[in-house]
Amino acid sequence: MSYLILNGMNSNDTFIPKINDFLKEKFTEKDIRGEILNLHEIDIKPCLGCFKCWIETPGVCVIDDYGRTVAKKMIQSDYLLYVTPITYGGYSAELKKAVDRSISLLSPFFRIYHKEIHHEKRYDNYPDFIVIGTLSEQDENQEGIFRELVHRNSLNNFAEKVTSQIIYENDDEEVIQNKIEECLNIVGEKNE
Amino acid sequence: MSKQAVFLMCSPRGEKSASYSLGNYFSSLLEEQGISVKNFHSYKVLRKSELIDKMIKAIDESDYILISTPLYVDQAPYMTLKLMNVITAATQEEKIRKKGKLIIAISCAGYLEFYHNSLALKIYEQFAKENNFIWGGGFPIGAAGTYASYSIPQILEMVAALPEDDYRQFFYGKPAKVLDEVFHKAVTSLMEGEKIPSEELEKLEFVPIPLEAYANGGNKSWIEWAEQLGTADKLRDKPYE
Repeated sequence: MSYLILNGMNSNDTFIPKINDFLKEKFTEKDIRGEILNLHEIDIKPCLGCFKCWIETPGVCVIDDYGRTVAKKMIQSDYLLYVTPITYGGYSAELKKAVDRSISLLSPFFRIYHKEIHHEKRYDNYPDFIVIGTLSEQDENQEGIFRELVHRNSLNNFAEKVTSQIIYENDDEEVIQNKIEECLNIVGEKNE
Repeated sequence: MSKQAVFLMCSPRGEKSASYSLGNYFSSLLEEQGISVKNFHSYKVLRKSELIDKMIKAIDESDYILISTPLYVDQAPYMTLKLMNVITAATQEEKIRKKGKLIIAISCAGYLEFYHNSLALKIYEQFAKENNFIWGGGFPIGAAGTYASYSIPQILEMVAALPEDDYRQFFYGKPAKVLDEVFHKAVTSLMEGEKIPSEELEKLEFVPIPLEAYANGGNKSWIEWAEQLGTADKLRDKPYE
């Protein structure tokens, strides 16, 4: 079992590293290994919207940079985590640069799923999906967008289990730990 | 002094994109009303600090902002978000001071259904709020690839020559006609300093053809494209397994 954390924080963020430390600790307790990718330190070119990863080089992005590696690590993990400052209600730009480049993990072919058009699977198995967003304080509008975004993503990324959590910068350590424990419950389920 | 608008075009596909085609058409309708429109292509702007400064100055002087962007993975693409961050930073640094700007957005989804754009439009609305812009409304465009190939006027001209029961009337004609009408009403509202009426935007909330027809047609197109490249037997490859 392995995890991959895509850390979408901005370079001056001092809060998300604490969350990542907790996550790492909890995974280690469960004897699950993995890694954290600090996306703000990694040069990943933006998606070109060319669809060549579906047709010309199926399953592999035509841009030969670390974006390819991230996509490979994503599909090879058992637990995929996004950790991001909630930005206008959604994911940060740093996280999004990697997420945009991961469409190669889907098949180009369309299917009807939940009475909507979505893509077919490329792989047999996809990681469980955990998303943690941070906010300086409660914000009903942004939280609503964020939770809906995670749900919409889960319709497109085939995760069998999905959970999200919002952590406020003024949460005390115990609350943060509890929130992280709560969203890692699905890890225990898969590991049993 | 005439009113000014800024058109932020956020597709990496440049002038071959639906974002450009629709945003450019909307800009032309604004220009017909005497509004001067300045265009900025996010992928070019974000590479050069002098272009960023020029864009921020234009935004500061503008009365209207139009963002036209594709939808990637349920949300704004990375480069659109990056552009939004640059604008938000400029607002915080008080480089954008002129009040009362109306901002509108065109969100272009590859999927057939308009509602895949709903979240992205909520995100642009939140962006507007954080920058003290007035949210004028958003256009949720499904099957937007159509507009990458043809502009609205070209589609209207094409379907005018077709029989009424031709499938292209439903897939291309009706969406383009409705969008054209809504664009015109939107421009009228903006000229009066008003938001786009929600009842106008709601006219875009329909699915023009059955989902199965779109999915089957799309799947056939992928195979035809792959056959030209000799990759048809590789489309289901699993390179990272």
